[in-house]
Parts: sequence; structure tokens; C-alpha cells
Amino acid sequence: MAYDARPEGPLGGARDVAPPALRVAGVSKTFRPRDGRDPFTALSDVSLDVSDNTFVSILGPSGCGKTTLLRMMNGLLAPDNGEVLLGGKPPRPGPDVGFVFQSFRLLPWRTIRGNVELGLEETGLSRAERRERALRYLALVGLSRFAESYPHELSGGMKQRVALARALAPEPSVLLMDEPFASLDAQTRELMQMELLRLWERRRGVVVFVTHSVDEAIVLSDRIVLMRSHPGRIAEVLDVDLPRPRWDTDVHTRREFVELRHYLWEQIKAMVLASAEPGLFGSGDAPG
Amino acid sequence: MPDGATRQSSAARALLPAGLKAAPVWLWRLVVLAALLLLWWAVAVFVGRNFVPTPQATALAALRLIENGTLPNATAQSLAVFFTGYGLAAAVAIPLGLLMGGFRPLGATLDVFVNALAATPRVAFIPLIIVFLGLGFEAKVTIIFLGAVMPILINTYTGVLSSDGELVEMARSTGAGDLAIFRKIMLPGSLRSIVAGLRLGAGIGLISTVVAELYTSVRGLGGLLATYGNTFQMDNYFVVVLAFAAIGALVTQGLRMAESRMDRWQYQEERAS
Repeated sequence: MAYDARPEGPLGGARDVAPPALRVAGVSKTFRPRDGRDPFTALSDVSLDVSDNTFVSILGPSGCGKTTLLRMMNGLLAPDNGEVLLGGKPPRPGPDVGFVFQSFRLLPWRTIRGNVELGLEETGLSRAERRERALRYLALVGLSRFAESYPHELSGGMKQRVALARALAPEPSVLLMDEPFASLDAQTRELMQMELLRLWERRRGVVVFVTHSVDEAIVLSDRIVLMRSHPGRIAEVLDVDLPRPRWDTDVHTRREFVELRHYLWEQIKAMVLASAEPGLFGSGDAPG
Repeated sequence: MPDGATRQSSAARALLPAGLKAAPVWLWRLVVLAALLLLWWAVAVFVGRNFVPTPQATALAALRLIENGTLPNATAQSLAVFFTGYGLAAAVAIPLGLLMGGFRPLGATLDVFVNALAATPRVAFIPLIIVFLGLGFEAKVTIIFLGAVMPILINTYTGVLSSDGELVEMARSTGAGDLAIFRKIMLPGSLRSIVAGLRLGAGIGLISTVVAELYTSVRGLGGLLATYGNTFQMDNYFVVVLAFAAIGALVTQGLRMAESRMDRWQYQEERAS
């Protein structure tokens, strides 16, 4: 389809520069429950451009439509208004977009290798090539020894590394991650963040990483998209000025980190307080 | 990583004296068998041997019935109708259940009728079956088919329906189409439920075999049951009852072994969560 014929919009002016790898333009989405409850506006007029080789985090309180936005980026969900373009085309689920879910979603009846191969079965690779590729990516996440094990034999962190290998194996241009480390314990979580950074330094591309952890967003990202809820919309887009690589040093103590963290915390706290019940957070007028 | 099941069973073992801890299950089964035989013998002595034969008398009767070919012949006849009816039930119910689960409009249309038929006592159809098919092999097979088909169908259908939506979405994100999702996610996900349905169907199928042999032409093990019961040959009668019990145990045990092969991955998964 001829997307160059797209009418000039507010973002149209930038067209003769290199097009963004991922473009979200004026996207809205309202869910209308069938059981007669009030319709729920998950996203309202969201626009965002992501250039290639950029790590973007989407940060915000629950209910801000983070996950909805992510599902639109791989075509699992279609927007009501506006458009999502990936390399100039509407996204379709497939090998060009990797997806990592919070719950690891491994097939219990397949071996670890078989689970990674699942991501390759729509790529047209031969059986031998799929096997070779799966083993290569399992080696990359340090799980070669477990290739013939079953998911129930692995710990949570290991399962998520399998899911990461499954998403990376088709070598997608965009990797979408939906709170991938939220169900891991604190230590495993930090290890996985470093692991992800290490992998990303080796082979860049666009990563869109949804999280509700301020620290995680800062440590990982080039840019942070801060969203607010009811309805979900973008509050602010911030650049993270921390040097890379970040996986071999502790960035948590750097001044830039501390300042950005403080700023983001204040923003999110204000959002949460504004939507909370009065008195819930113990202001002066709370009884007793 | 100690999981719940291991901890529980080791706690149970701690209550037993040290020497019995190592005793395997088959030894305990033998102990229960001996206790049952003893109970049987006591009942036979107290109630009177005309009503309940002793274990010894039953064993002698069994030897006699095997030697003169009565029991092997009857068993062969019963197994032939059972496996034909049961096999047909599985051959119809599994594909139909998969279709109903995989193609939602079909499932939504048919499941009311399936449930209505499942709730109707299948004995109600026997006079109708006799009118149409007579008293022979076909009528018996039909009765068994009707008994076994419903549990297999319903289990297959619900197995596909309850397939994990999260796994389906994951597969969709890799670009898999409907057919691939059905083959890679829904079908293996419902396997356990299908085998459970097969086990239920086998039980009902065996009961239907007896019912069929009592209500239609009196043949097979059910036929022997009627003959010996009506003529008060209680020792022979008990042999037939035990033969039924043995067949039931063998068939269920076989299917349970198929289930435990799948447990390698699935049972552990449930335990871990």
C-alpha cells in the first residue's frame, strides 16, 4: 500500500528526514464491555515516534493503557482512530516483532529448545535451521545446558530467559516487552536487566519496554515515555543522559540517575494522589 | 525445592514404623486383597454357602469354566462388542469434540443438544434400538456407543474450550494462524482432558456392555450373569462378577498409564503453580 500518500498531519513535516522505525500517530482506543458497563477509554490521542536503535520505556500508573499501546504495536489490537506504523507499514503479528509477556507463556509439553523454535515456525526456515538458530539463542541467554529440559524444571528467571530467546530468535526489528521482569524477585530482576542490556548492546534495534518501575525505566532506556491514566495519554517524554554501556557499572548512584528518579517519582506520586480517594494517603485532614 | 506433594507423603510415612517405610504399593495392594478374601470367606460362612460361595468354591468354578471354554468364549464375545462400541465412540467423539471446541459457532449450536442427550438415561433408548437393530451384535454395539460417546465428547469439547488464552495470544504474536494455533496450542493442551474422557467412557462402556447383554440377546459375560443368577449357580455367578472387575481394572489401568506418560510435563506444571 502507498503510505506516502498519507495526508499531511501534524507529524507530516518530518517526512523527508529518515522515517521513524516506529510511529504512533493520534491513536485512540475505547473498550466497550458487552455486559452494559460504561465504556472505558484506554488511550486518547497518543502520538509517539521512535527512531531505530532506540530503547524506549513506557512508564505510568496502572490503567494508563501501557499494555494496550504495546499490543497495538504488534497488531494484536487495532486502534479506533489514528495509526501505528512499523517501518512504514501497519504492524502484523509475526517474526518481525518480538513479544515478551510478563507471564512467561512457555508450552509445558515442549522442551526448552522446542519453545524457542515456536517463535521460528512462521519464518520459513527449515527444521534444521530452526534447531540451529534456537540453540544459538539459548546459548546467548546462557541456557544451552537446558535445551532438552522441560519448562517446569526451570526457575522463574530462567523461564523468562527462554521467553526472551524465543522472542529474539526470529531476529525481529522491534522487541516489545510487557512488564517482563515484574514477577521475578528483586535480585533476579536486576540480573535480567543487565542481561537484557548486554544482549541489546550486541544487536540493537527498537525495544519498547513497558514497566511500572521507575528505576528499571531509567537503567534501561534512552527515552522514557511517561503516561497518565483515565484516559491513558502521554504526559511527557524524557531523554535519559546516562552513558552506555550501563551493564558493567552501577548507574544507580550517578547524579543524573538520582535526579531523574526524583523527578519521575514526584510526577507519578502526583498522578496517583490525584486519582486516589481523599485521605487515603494520610494528608493532614485524615481523621484520628 | 521441596514441593507440597513430597512433603505431604514424607509426613505420612513418618507415622509408620521404620520397617514398613520401604514397603512398595503392590505389597499393600496384596495386603488389602488378602483382607478382602478373608472378609468374603467370613461372609460366605455366616450367610450360608447357597447365597455366597466361599473363595475356594469360586476358584474351583473358575477353573472349570476356563477349562470347558465357557468363560474364555463369553469374555471374547463381550470384549468384541465392548471394543467395537467403545472404539466407534472414541472415533466419533474426539473429532467432533475437537471441531466443536475449535469452531465456536458449531460448539455453541450443538452443546445444548449434547448436554440434553448426556442427561437422558441411555437405557431409555434400548427398546428403540431393539426395534431398529434387533437383538444382535449391532444393537449391543449401539448401546455401548451411546453410553461411551458422551463423556468422551464433553471432555474433549471442554478440554479445547479451556485451552490457555495466554498461550493462544503468545502463539498469535509469533504470527501463527488459526490452524497452527489449534494444532500447536489447543490440541496438546486438551490431551489430558481427552484421556480423562476416554477413562470415564470406558467405565460407562463396560456397564453398558452388561446392560446390552442382559436386555438384548443373552450372550457374553452379561449373558452368563443372567443364566447363572436365574438358576442360582452362585459359584459360577461370582466368577463372572470377578471377570468384569478384572476387565475394568485392566482397561482403566491401561488408560492411567497413558495419562502418567503425559504427567511428565503437565502434572508437574500444575504442582509447581
